[in-house]
Amino acid sequence: MSAQESGRDGVTRRSFLRGGLGAAGGLAAVAAAVSPLRELDTGDLTLERLLQKHYKEMTPEDKERVLERIRNEVQQRFEVRPELRDLPPLPGVEFAYALNLGRCIGCRRCVHACVRENNQSRDPEIQYIRVLELPRGSVDVERSEHHYDHLRVPSPDHYYMPVQCHQCENPPCVKVCPVEATWKEPDGVIVIDYDWCIGCRYCAAACPYFARRFNYAEPSVPKEELNPDMNYLSNRPRRKGVMEKCHFCLQRTRAGRMPACLEVCPVGARNFGNLLDPESQVAQILKTKQIFVLKQDAATLPRFFYYFDQDM
Amino acid sequence: MNSEERSSAAGTGPRARASAWGILVGPAFLGLAAWLHLGNPPAEIPRQEPMRVDTRRLTTEPRRKPSELHDGRPLIFVNSFLRHCSECHNFPLSEVQIRNRQQHGHIVLEHGINDACHNCHDLSNMDQLILRGGRSIPYADVPELCRTCHGPTFQDWQRGIHGRVNGYWDATRGEQHHLRCVECHDPHRPRHPAMDPLVPLPGPNTLRMGDPRWRAGESHEGPEEDPLRRVTVQSREEDR
Repeated sequence: MSAQESGRDGVTRRSFLRGGLGAAGGLAAVAAAVSPLRELDTGDLTLERLLQKHYKEMTPEDKERVLERIRNEVQQRFEVRPELRDLPPLPGVEFAYALNLGRCIGCRRCVHACVRENNQSRDPEIQYIRVLELPRGSVDVERSEHHYDHLRVPSPDHYYMPVQCHQCENPPCVKVCPVEATWKEPDGVIVIDYDWCIGCRYCAAACPYFARRFNYAEPSVPKEELNPDMNYLSNRPRRKGVMEKCHFCLQRTRAGRMPACLEVCPVGARNFGNLLDPESQVAQILKTKQIFVLKQDAATLPRFFYYFDQDM
Repeated sequence: MNSEERSSAAGTGPRARASAWGILVGPAFLGLAAWLHLGNPPAEIPRQEPMRVDTRRLTTEPRRKPSELHDGRPLIFVNSFLRHCSECHNFPLSEVQIRNRQQHGHIVLEHGINDACHNCHDLSNMDQLILRGGRSIPYADVPELCRTCHGPTFQDWQRGIHGRVNGYWDATRGEQHHLRCVECHDPHRPRHPAMDPLVPLPGPNTLRMGDPRWRAGESHEGPEEDPLRRVTVQSREEDR
């Protein structure tokens, strides 16, 4: 009898409860999933940013709109109107860096000039350059130390090797990115679209030089220390959950200037220039000095060259 | 009877189990949603206070300011008066005076085998420098003097690969400022003096490197528990 009834309605109490509970659970899960949308107009996440295209797919108008949005965001956050640009790669230019290990004294001026120039987070601290302290007579980076804190440098029996992104010609970090948020520009610099990065950190795991830094927490930069000279692909402020790294100071170098780490070096150990210009300083070094690259066996073909040269 | 037939046709066991799961999964999702929504406390990341770096220590100015040139002649403080060298050195110095050097006691001469004033300073005109051939040159041309001994370095400097070049890497877009020899090196003591390093980086980003001794498991004793701090304390003690 009851079966006949249920057959007539097609709904038993059990199936009704089951369906109702399932629907409520599903609804709650959907609500939780879209809960970030509640922040849409209140703060961090805007609809514009949510619908923003990949850097390479933007039209010039799209880019200008995005730059304007970022300018407004920065002004809101730091009370400074930034000079935000999107400098294109220069034709006929491939950047390269050369570093004289015979000169470096490990004073970390480059590290902190970089932090200042590129608006890295001060708390938690993020630094692109690591200065390794190595015992003289070996290039065994496994035995290096980069937390050294002497009163005076250089410490005897040690030499110093600053390591930053090597802008590889064959970059493993680019290969592993699942969303193509990082890529190699025509001037050889590996860049990151901070608005496209999903924060999976595959690239950091793939990098043999430990050159990539992740914003595990919301980065904080003091308002008065913000560098307003900004570029879309380089030093504009980042958010929590995105990767960042050295980009050869694109906001400077694509305007023809030297990188910040070079200009502050008190011993002049650093050299930067256009690899394709045979008269450039870097090309002269490659021609006349005995250069080497770090972890050559990784076959990454870095654009960052080291050499020892301590002539009198 | 009827219902038995129906359930046996559909298979009692799996169906009942499936509905039990259905009742369980719904509240589970609800609970998860509630936890994601309300609970989910932010993770506590232990971290040190960030170190501040004084902007003045990140100067891009030349490291040395060689003494002011006035009419191409250096001016130095003598008894709190600014004077040209020739204002005192208007008479020839005796051999004994040169050897004993009673004046200019603050100048430390550590330049290898180049250990005599008149190797570089022109004794007949102290406002000028002297090349090894005997030609007198003004102070502004000091690289000409240095090159007489440091030829390869001078060549490198001319090509821009010795010494710092500030400004523009692209000379067509702006000025390149090549620092001169004496803007980095003290000619009396050319080796770079030791400097104080800026603060190192603590924190989760770099923990994986750590202290090699600690990583190798050789030693777990030390003045402090934290391996990162221990490096600091030990190396400071070694310095003293």
